[in-house]
Amino acid sequence: MTTTMDRRRLLSTAVLGGAGIAGATALGSLAPEAALAAEPVKVSPGAPDPNFAEGRVTSITGSVVLLAGSDGALHRIQVTNGTSIWKFQPTTFDRLEKGDGMYVRGVRLPDGTLAADSLWANIVNLTAHIVSVGRNVLHLDHHGRRLIGHVVPGTTAAVYNGTPAISDVSLLRVGGHVQVIGVWHPDTNEISIATVYAAN
Amino acid sequence: MAAVTGEVSWFCCGSAWGPCASTGRGACGTCTSGNFQHAWPNASAACLAITRPDVCGTPLSRRTCGFVHYTTNLCNGARVGTSIADCGPQTDLFCGERACCGSACGTNRIIDLTPAAYSAIASLSTGLRPCSVDTV
Repeated sequence: MTTTMDRRRLLSTAVLGGAGIAGATALGSLAPEAALAAEPVKVSPGAPDPNFAEGRVTSITGSVVLLAGSDGALHRIQVTNGTSIWKFQPTTFDRLEKGDGMYVRGVRLPDGTLAADSLWANIVNLTAHIVSVGRNVLHLDHHGRRLIGHVVPGTTAAVYNGTPAISDVSLLRVGGHVQVIGVWHPDTNEISIATVYAAN
Repeated sequence: MAAVTGEVSWFCCGSAWGPCASTGRGACGTCTSGNFQHAWPNASAACLAITRPDVCGTPLSRRTCGFVHYTTNLCNGARVGTSIADCGPQTDLFCGERACCGSACGTNRIIDLTPAAYSAIASLSTGLRPCSVDTV
């Protein structure tokens, strides 16, 4: 078998818990950095990407997630044993919940289902400034809206002006600008902070 | 334009959930998270007055709505073509910031991609990557 095995066929058979998953293992990891480096992108600049979906989870049945897109579109997402899942940190399918917001990248199958290579649940990437700092919490202003950013000891990482990430967030200052990668707590103005990038 | 090396991040726009729901369709009025689009710091004079990449030592050419750039992730060589749909990133807020993958580094934020575009070349959870940007 060559490594050019048709990706649609692989992903359509590599259903979560299904027998086809051995093929995924033989082809190596479907983790995003490796998979993306191997496959050229063929979507025209400016155009919608048919292999990408976003929205909120309306149901989870077996290994299929239904998403209600923010633009009104409906998406059927097939999760496989090879799907890379992130929700605050790399995690497993059973951590996904109805109501989660999601970005999904995969391969669109002939029936319209998106077979997921990578799935990011509730992920946010925000630029904000720090309004106040409390114990394990940052109060943020994001485009005029207040957000509560929870620091998770042992998990939250801070990057100060490009230096290697550390767990110490005590160098963050009120009034400072930050970029935050985190997870939204659905239907609230709260997030948990995975990584905070601090400006000068 | 010769290729410019710097940092790439991502941003959401258009219809969205969570904190992104308030972000709108960008300076060009066309921005959608699911499209291959990007924000550029010199999309107009008014835009440049906010982003100021020049004060960080990275002057960038004026490119307006719809102009196509190609961004290469220096961590894995993956490349994506996108069109300008918004103004950003605000380079001057992170002046001198450096992202590296081994010896491949980029300094200063020069482009923000939509989630669809960024996820085509890197995992969204990485948030920031060294990159090169060119026009061909």
